[in-house]
Amino acid sequence: MKKILFSLLLGVSLWGYGEGVLYWTPHGCDEGKTTASKHGGHGKGESAMFALMNSDANASAHLILPDLSEKALTFTLNTIMLPKPSMGGYYAMVAEVSTATRVQSAIRYLSLQGRPAKVSPTLLIALSKTALEIVPDPLHREHDRYTASKSYRFILMFQNKPLKNATVTLETHKTPIQNYMSDERGSFTITLPNDFTNVRVGRSENKPSEFLLSVHHNDNFTAYTSTFSMPYHINPNDFWQSQSWGIGAIFLGFLGGIFLYRRHKKQGVSRG
Amino acid sequence: MDKFLTVTALRRVVQLTAFVFFVYGAMIFATFYTDDKLTQALPALSCAYDMKGGDYCALIPLQHQMDHRVSTLFTQNAGAMEAFMGTLITIGTVALLILILNKAFCGWLCPLGFFQETITMIGTKLGFTQLTSLSRETITKIRPIKWFIFLFLVLILPLLTGIGFLGHEWGNPYCSICPSRIMTTAMTGDMSQVYISQANGGYFALSLIADLLFGLMIALALFVRQPFCRICPILPMQTLFKKIGLLRLVKNGSSSCESCGNCIKACPMDIYEIQDQAENRNITHSDCTLCGRCVEFCPHDGVMSFKYGPLTLYSSSKERFKKRTKIDKWWKG
Repeated sequence: MKKILFSLLLGVSLWGYGEGVLYWTPHGCDEGKTTASKHGGHGKGESAMFALMNSDANASAHLILPDLSEKALTFTLNTIMLPKPSMGGYYAMVAEVSTATRVQSAIRYLSLQGRPAKVSPTLLIALSKTALEIVPDPLHREHDRYTASKSYRFILMFQNKPLKNATVTLETHKTPIQNYMSDERGSFTITLPNDFTNVRVGRSENKPSEFLLSVHHNDNFTAYTSTFSMPYHINPNDFWQSQSWGIGAIFLGFLGGIFLYRRHKKQGVSRG
Repeated sequence: MDKFLTVTALRRVVQLTAFVFFVYGAMIFATFYTDDKLTQALPALSCAYDMKGGDYCALIPLQHQMDHRVSTLFTQNAGAMEAFMGTLITIGTVALLILILNKAFCGWLCPLGFFQETITMIGTKLGFTQLTSLSRETITKIRPIKWFIFLFLVLILPLLTGIGFLGHEWGNPYCSICPSRIMTTAMTGDMSQVYISQANGGYFALSLIADLLFGLMIALALFVRQPFCRICPILPMQTLFKKIGLLRLVKNGSSSCESCGNCIKACPMDIYEIQDQAENRNITHSDCTLCGRCVEFCPHDGVMSFKYGPLTLYSSSKERFKKRTKIDKWWKG
């Protein structure tokens, strides 16, 4: 009952967001969080449960591990519980729903801690996962995170080739949809909006929000849709960190050094 | 062309190449992700905050290990192996690297060292009166600071944070004040590391110290050689293993050394001890960056030399001294 209520709440909170497309979103129920804490490898307060939104009974999902091996994921309603991570590094969650005329896919990456896989994450990112794919170029680095007000580049790939002149939409919960166009190399750059409200001072005091990239493409009477969803975090420089004061402090330090120079100038001689 | 073929000229080429690799390496090679980094424990200030960097220094994993792993000895009754494994891997990597290149990581590869030397060159050309050497008294006062920074900012404060005595801002306090963080990120066009934080008193103090220190370092580098290197916590970490380093500075001055003091004048770290008499002895000091200037500026045949294991790579000689002095005069106009 509690889980159904939580799913309803999640659905209401995501009203209008990601409408009509298949995408992953974290399911922050107690069960997911408890499992994540038992697993280890997840960050504090993270959930091991994810929901595949707008999915149907035909949905299939698998996990690509840091060593590029694959593991099938089983749905309970529209949710999956991640297995205990056997190694550290990037994991890719891939979901697909296919009909005769429509292919939908959703990808999400996770960085989990554990024994190193000794396989470059570059290979995981470059690995073709679905026919139409939004590939991060690059994905944020381990220990880093997607951050508001920063720009990130992606490449659109269709059947292993760059997809040019395609429109990609960026959605967040609080900012209207923005459109981006891929260039000749399939590349496009987004800037994550600074749309956090009720901000509290301190990075850990503010929960991350979610962003969703979607792309549609028609080929040979088949409509392809793919999404990329990830969390993004508040940028302290937008709130409680001042860059102009920082530049001022550097200048003050520089002046201190020049003061010392003037003090020592009489004692100094050109180096011989 | 021959007149430019000196140890310093070779060092500049190596420094510039290392600077490009350590600051922009991920743009050139596939080394963006942490798992792709060359060592993840470099004994030089190549910063992990630089998203385009080729590798990063050992101080960031050390601080994180103190905060998140070693602290579990006290908070979760973890086993010693579990608590120290990461630290042992980092220290082991550092020891291996020191074995190969010893303290040359500072004088030949460190991006911040090269940055300071470049500013000193600019200062010389701008006509800033250079301080020949800092006094023995000043050097004696400065030397313990790097040990203090290493012990407290790299080891003790992060450990106390992990145990729960201090707030999260003290989890990596050295990185919070390190000038390399500001320099390397700014060099890639990312100014996000220049800030004053108002999150709390600790964050405010650390961000203020970082910015003041960075500005001070730039101004001092205009007329003092290697100002930040003198307090850099990489030096104490290297010192722990310098005895095993194959590359070393050897002095054999039993008969020829006249204690002329040229080596001290040449030394960017003002190591007065290199003037002391020594007979075929390894004189690689804790502060030494193995830049080789003392060898270049020694006017006596075979008194100072760079050795790698049993091999002598480079020795002082009258001829080299004359050539080097000529270049120095030409450079300073």
